[in-house]
Amino acid sequence: MVPTISFDSELVAILPRLRRFAHGLSRNPADADDLTQATVERALRSREQWQPGTRLDSWACRIMRNLWIDAARARSRKDKVEAPAEEGELVGEDPTSGMDASVDLGRMMAAMDRLPDEQREVVALILIEGFGYREAAEMLDVPIGTVSSRLVRGRTALLEMVGA
Amino acid sequence: MVTEEVFFAWLDGELDADEAERVAAEVEADENLALRAEEHRALQRRLGTAFGTVLSDPLPEAVLAAARPEPEVVDLAAARRERQPRRWSGLPQWAAIAATLAIGVFAGTMVPHRDDDPVRIEGGKVYAAASLDRALTTQLASAPAGDTRIGLTFRDQDGAMCRTFTQPAASGLACRDGQRWRLRGFLAAPEVQAGTYRMASGMDPNLANLVGTAMAGEPFDAAQEKAARDKGWR
Repeated sequence: MVPTISFDSELVAILPRLRRFAHGLSRNPADADDLTQATVERALRSREQWQPGTRLDSWACRIMRNLWIDAARARSRKDKVEAPAEEGELVGEDPTSGMDASVDLGRMMAAMDRLPDEQREVVALILIEGFGYREAAEMLDVPIGTVSSRLVRGRTALLEMVGA
Repeated sequence: MVTEEVFFAWLDGELDADEAERVAAEVEADENLALRAEEHRALQRRLGTAFGTVLSDPLPEAVLAAARPEPEVVDLAAARRERQPRRWSGLPQWAAIAATLAIGVFAGTMVPHRDDDPVRIEGGKVYAAASLDRALTTQLASAPAGDTRIGLTFRDQDGAMCRTFTQPAASGLACRDGQRWRLRGFLAAPEVQAGTYRMASGMDPNLANLVGTAMAGEPFDAAQEKAARDKGWR
């Protein structure tokens, strides 16, 4: 019973961060909220698998990432037959002058959406959520060197798209 | 010349002190690297600001609803915030508790004591007795025995040790008062309270409210519970 209570309150406490991570992964805010909701539901169903004393945020982010990957796999098959996003729609403007942060969120999400999934997830985990390379590697089940090289490619591509 | 991986690991604070110092010196000496470091720092700040707006958004109702505990899970934090009964809206929480206690007081004063009564009234206070007293004193939540099941153990706002318990016909909260357990609440089981109404399972919401109001800090984990028992609930 005791772990149950701390699980619930901790889960509620990390909801804003989970939702931010969802925005890092998703193509639009509506998808991000759907992903957050699905993650919370899955986390509650899988609560016995969480070990008290370990980080609930890493555990929940991992759940979210796996749900997103499942959906992204299904989506990428569909996307191959749809027109790609217009090249150049994000470049050529002064990105920062007087821009409202919430407006910029839409631009950053659009740019993130053009990264390959495996780059996007490391950018979201490390540059947005602030996880370390090792934590990200453990969450993604890949070697730390893989995280490092995907992050180089992801952030370099992102900078080219949005300027800074 | 630093590799890209090492350059960014340095930027992200992933290198040990010696290596970080070496890379910092190299970046400082190389105008292109320094510019690149600044561009990527700016990118990260911009990501932080843009995605940071999500943190201050109100949470969507659907997300909150998904996180809301199932009926068998009592959200003590919410109970503490609300301090209102949720299910028996017509009847204030104190009235429900007072009513059940009043029945206990009445029974306790008018009916001769039996040695196995689970409560005893003395000087207007209700204490656990017999099997209930033994259960509160010796049982751990992980090891139910007999008719009494222990739920939470915690300290109240005055530092007294408190425990919740459930029996087939009642549940309640008892806190240490000297060498005895004084009852703060003793609630008839829901099907008794409300006729045909039967809770799915779990803690009576009135009891949860009572716990939420009384509890200081967090409930004890299994190790803390056992340690408290071994020290005699001081």
